Amino acid sequence: MKGADRVRIPLPAPRHPATGDDAAPASAAVPDAPPASDAPSGRRRTSRPRTAVALVLVLALLGCGAGLLVRAQQLTGAPALHNRALTDTEATSRVVDEVGGALARVFSYGPGDTATTRQAARRLLAGRAARQYEALFGQVGQRAAQQRLTLTTHVVRAGVTRLDDRGAQLLVFLDQVAQRAGKPATTVAAQLSVTAELHEGRWRIVDIRSR
Amino acid sequence: MTGRPVGWDRSGAWTAVAVAVAALLCGLAGWSYAGAAGDGTRAYAEARDDALAAGRAHVARLSSVDAARPDAVRAGWLDATTGDLHTRLKGTDPRKGTGGASTRATVTDAALTALNDRAGTAGLIATVSVTTTPAGGRPGGTDRKRLEAALARTGDGWKVTALTAVPVAGP
Repeated sequence: MKGADRVRIPLPAPRHPATGDDAAPASAAVPDAPPASDAPSGRRRTSRPRTAVALVLVLALLGCGAGLLVRAQQLTGAPALHNRALTDTEATSRVVDEVGGALARVFSYGPGDTATTRQAARRLLAGRAARQYEALFGQVGQRAAQQRLTLTTHVVRAGVTRLDDRGAQLLVFLDQVAQRAGKPATTVAAQLSVTAELHEGRWRIVDIRSR
Repeated sequence: MTGRPVGWDRSGAWTAVAVAVAALLCGLAGWSYAGAAGDGTRAYAEARDDALAAGRAHVARLSSVDAARPDAVRAGWLDATTGDLHTRLKGTDPRKGTGGASTRATVTDAALTALNDRAGTAGLIATVSVTTTPAGGRPGGTDRKRLEAALARTGDGWKVTALTAVPVAGP
């Protein structure tokens, strides 16, 4: 906006003819001296410095504009902005709910319903997480039946470290209550770093790492 | 001679147009910059990244003890904390309750659970892997812990105001 004031300086000059100083063309050569502009003999000579001033002004304005644009671009392209964890409250709580719910679902089962848990896992897990889970669940399913084991998983704390349009990274604290028939229940802690991907509008877990 | 005023007018007009266009472009750039600089989301996102980075480093420091250098350890703890925790740590001996053992902690993962940019407070959860070395012995087993910390923004960056283990709820 600083430029707006400066713009006026060269513009009015041609339309506000001078108080006539045609006898002194030397003074007309000074850029800031518009007086000689109307004098027939001074015109050609004044127009050159005037153009020079205008050129400098245009270049200065363009330079200033380019500088501001570059700075603005740096600000809007700041790496911190690519990550929407916590900045987008709604999306953050949604991914926490869906991923937490999925973990609670796939790590909770009773002796009679391992099949339904496994089915839910096929829907909620993908990629490496799905392969790990299949390998693990092969043994767990049998054990659950033999020992009449019931496992219930609760999310205790969860935080999102990365969130964008396609993927999210979370840290989730879980409590897992294991109950064997005829024995007291035991609770163990589990901490998982989870990678999730948005697939057809729902978050799917693609990687789980125990911490 | 008659062509001269026309040429003058034309070049004057061109100059005026060029300056006006440049001024307009500069104004638009300024407007775009002002919009970007005043973006509250960016400030919030940067506060989040700062709080998480500081929190990670502080939690690792507060979970580590070098039994050979208790004063340096306490100075580090005091530097990482503020508020109640800071006051409480002032009078403590870092070696107390460790039996002369040293511990070395690494934060394996951490996430913010809450951030109030205006109030300058944040909540953090972290998983820590702690290696304990008994007095005069070799590094022993590695212990995994899950911790929860409260952070507050000070003139010297984010500091820890509370640090506790997240216990397992009874069955």
